Amino acid sequence: MGTTRMDRRLFLKAAGATAGAATTLQVGCLSYFKKGRSAAADNREVPTTCELCPNKCSAIAVVEKGVVKKLNPNPENPKSRDMLCARGNAAIKQVYDPDRLKQPMIRVGARGEGKWKAVSWDEAFDFAAKKLAEVKAKHGPEGTLWSSTEGFQEVFFKNLGLAFGSPNLVRHPTLCLASVNLAYSATFGTVPSFDLLNSKFVIMSGANRFESIITPDTMDLIGGVMERKAKLVYLDPRFTVTAAKADEWYPIKPGTDLAFILAMIHVIIKENRHSKDFVAAYTTGFDQLAEHVKPYTPEWAEKETEIPAKDIVRIAREFSDAAPRALYYAGRRSSWYQNDFQMRRAQAILNAIVGNWDQVGGMVPNAKLPKGEFLFMPWDEPKAPRVDEIDKHFPLAAKGDGVYLKLRENVLSGKPYPVKAWMVYKQDPMNAMPDQAKTLKMIEGMDFIGVIDVQMSDMAWYADVVFPESTYLERTDPVEVMAGIWPAVVYRQQVVKPIHDTKPNLEIVQGLARRLGLADYFDYTIEQWVEAEFKELPIPLAAEHMKKHGVWAASGQPSYGKTLTPDHRFVTKTGKIELFSERLQEAGADPLPVYSAPVPPPSDRFRLILGRVGYFTHANQTNNVWLNEHMKENDLWINPKPAERLGIRSGSIVQVTSSVGTVKLKARVTEEIRPDCVFMLHGFGKKSKMQSLVYNVGASDAVLLETAWDKVSGNAAFHETFVKVANA
Amino acid sequence: MAMKKRRYALVIDSRKCINCKACAVACKAENEVPIGNFRNWINEEHQGEYPKLRIDFEPEQCHHCEHPSCVRVCPTGASWQRKDGVVLVAEDDCIGCRYCMIACPYDARYFHEESGTVHKCTFCTHRIDGGVLPACVETCPSKVRVFGDLEDPASRIHELLSTRRHHVKEPQTGNGPQLYYLV
Repeated sequence: MGTTRMDRRLFLKAAGATAGAATTLQVGCLSYFKKGRSAAADNREVPTTCELCPNKCSAIAVVEKGVVKKLNPNPENPKSRDMLCARGNAAIKQVYDPDRLKQPMIRVGARGEGKWKAVSWDEAFDFAAKKLAEVKAKHGPEGTLWSSTEGFQEVFFKNLGLAFGSPNLVRHPTLCLASVNLAYSATFGTVPSFDLLNSKFVIMSGANRFESIITPDTMDLIGGVMERKAKLVYLDPRFTVTAAKADEWYPIKPGTDLAFILAMIHVIIKENRHSKDFVAAYTTGFDQLAEHVKPYTPEWAEKETEIPAKDIVRIAREFSDAAPRALYYAGRRSSWYQNDFQMRRAQAILNAIVGNWDQVGGMVPNAKLPKGEFLFMPWDEPKAPRVDEIDKHFPLAAKGDGVYLKLRENVLSGKPYPVKAWMVYKQDPMNAMPDQAKTLKMIEGMDFIGVIDVQMSDMAWYADVVFPESTYLERTDPVEVMAGIWPAVVYRQQVVKPIHDTKPNLEIVQGLARRLGLADYFDYTIEQWVEAEFKELPIPLAAEHMKKHGVWAASGQPSYGKTLTPDHRFVTKTGKIELFSERLQEAGADPLPVYSAPVPPPSDRFRLILGRVGYFTHANQTNNVWLNEHMKENDLWINPKPAERLGIRSGSIVQVTSSVGTVKLKARVTEEIRPDCVFMLHGFGKKSKMQSLVYNVGASDAVLLETAWDKVSGNAAFHETFVKVANA
Repeated sequence: MAMKKRRYALVIDSRKCINCKACAVACKAENEVPIGNFRNWINEEHQGEYPKLRIDFEPEQCHHCEHPSCVRVCPTGASWQRKDGVVLVAEDDCIGCRYCMIACPYDARYFHEESGTVHKCTFCTHRIDGGVLPACVETCPSKVRVFGDLEDPASRIHELLSTRRHHVKEPQTGNGPQLYYLV
């Protein structure tokens, strides 16, 4: 059988055999077009980069008579290799979705009423520019808010906001992983990658890697757990797919993960199991840490977490024995409690004291690659301070990303100043932000809302004008560097011409800029931008290579240990890995992670916990017909014990009520959750009728969630809401 | 030139399956499977009481049997088997009687409303004949499926089946299924 590529198992085996068991497993740069694989005469195969999540997996689009028929994984990508998840495969339906936005539209009815008028691009641009200019005249440029989420063309949208003069750009991290990023930065001066491909022992707190999002990390970890016998210890109030695959699952009492980690640190230091050489050479504050964790005994942690003390001791021993090939994995699943930053800090500290830094199977600082930059005309820095008062309340947070929930509070109060126009790119704050009623109130207070998206999201549904963006398969985007253990460069090129009257984001930005007197700042084409980036890539014949392959991997051979030299300075205040952080202390935060117990739910309530399933993950995928047919609506998971008490049966409709909202959805009575929690999936119960498969189907978690955030990072705390559940 | 004898089969390591649906969506695109129909799917089994729980996933599709009952019952010869073991439906000969759907022990076939014929997994013959893996095998993030030629002693599936315990589903039917599940 002439299969074109080696099966990964075989490949790993071969790599292991040549390199020897003690060294790293390698990833290879396999080729898509080997023997046998050729396109039929009227087919084209175009390499590109998936956009359905931020992982930048490489894909090859098969185009037949101008129609995208199939997306195949492109094995030349050293991270995604020969995989493409359900979403990646279903991207085709994003292009051919009958619900997608097909031309610019201006609202004619009341906001949210769903009455639209199809307009020309000129009309849409003129209308938006006039409204933005009006707000600027009345409130200054800072009276405008610019929200966006991760995307290769996000840069153009942000630049328009800045060129317009607004300091108020707000990005997704504080609804996602800002607490992780900040905690690792505060400790190591950088956010590392986790070498799951080579790790022997992995602990995860709710980072539900086998279920909630399928990425290269998922692939590396499942291979590790199932093939190389890496051990996985998993903490989650719910029995997830990751729990099912783990060697050990602990249904930890929600919000107590920090106690578990502090007790692990306690055991490791008490039993002298930390890496003394590493701690001495590269860290600062160990003595303070040792003193700090003395009260955090396994017996104490057992009471907090409901994980037996003897297991905590054993896990701490096994973890330190496996180090440096041991990881407390941060993952994406972050920002669930108000102590989230400190919980992530404790993970970082635990990882540091066993010395699994910059080594095979440990945490590895990301290798980067240079790329060229297109030099555009610079603008003056916005003069006004940010409306979210990030400097005052979250001095350590990333200024450019802003802090979503605090921003909403301030916009609603009108202080420190009014914000009256809201431009949104690719983001759906209606579902991404907790407390939808508050978001609606913020929407009501706006004089103008403009949304750029490929589909009529709930946010777009409440906009005044909607600009339809071309899908990723219909456009060419800037070049992206994938920093990591195996750094690579990826390129997204147009696969088919736009099938509707849509435009790539850059052209939408340019249309607005022209009418706002900002045309000079955006005086370039995507081709010129990309050419400039190609120029400084360390790739021979870069443009040619990227167009032909879509990806370039620096080397199949990762490099470890670059920071493990006596003169290396970490990007921290002391130049060391900071176990104790003076910088945190100066910012008014605990310099070492201090535990505070979560408030338990009252006896008549449950803690609402959330999650994602990998074939949607993000709320913007539930209306994709190829994904939706695998789950048509979400339901409320409830343990049989409380369900019996409340007379709730599987399939019956329940009413779920928090202090900020009420929803109705079907119940799922299941053993796979703690009795003190209920669970629901993200991304259903849409308000937009142009999300026809999920309009009013199931319920949106955003309706129920209360406003709460992590104190240090400002990250939304998604698991701090208690709900009442009753038969409807 | 004498053709080398081939016998295509699939070895499935269910423990590695995380029910991510990549296989099902890849197949949907590759073979233009209508909404609501599937040529491959994942069985789920949930067991136990909190907190002693277990979930098992098991990918399934046409077993490309050695003695396929679907082929035996087909009145027109539309259901047929290639020399390499792949079981197919010749659309031009299919009259849509659906006997084969009833005869299949695995419920692996569906009626295609538009064409009025029965459809099923083809092992992506259009890909494998050109030396490319079936779409579900290629895309799988955790590499649950291993596709290959049982007649090739150097193949990965040959190696797996000679070194790992495995079973087939519904062996009592005498169909001789060629999906091998590792234990």
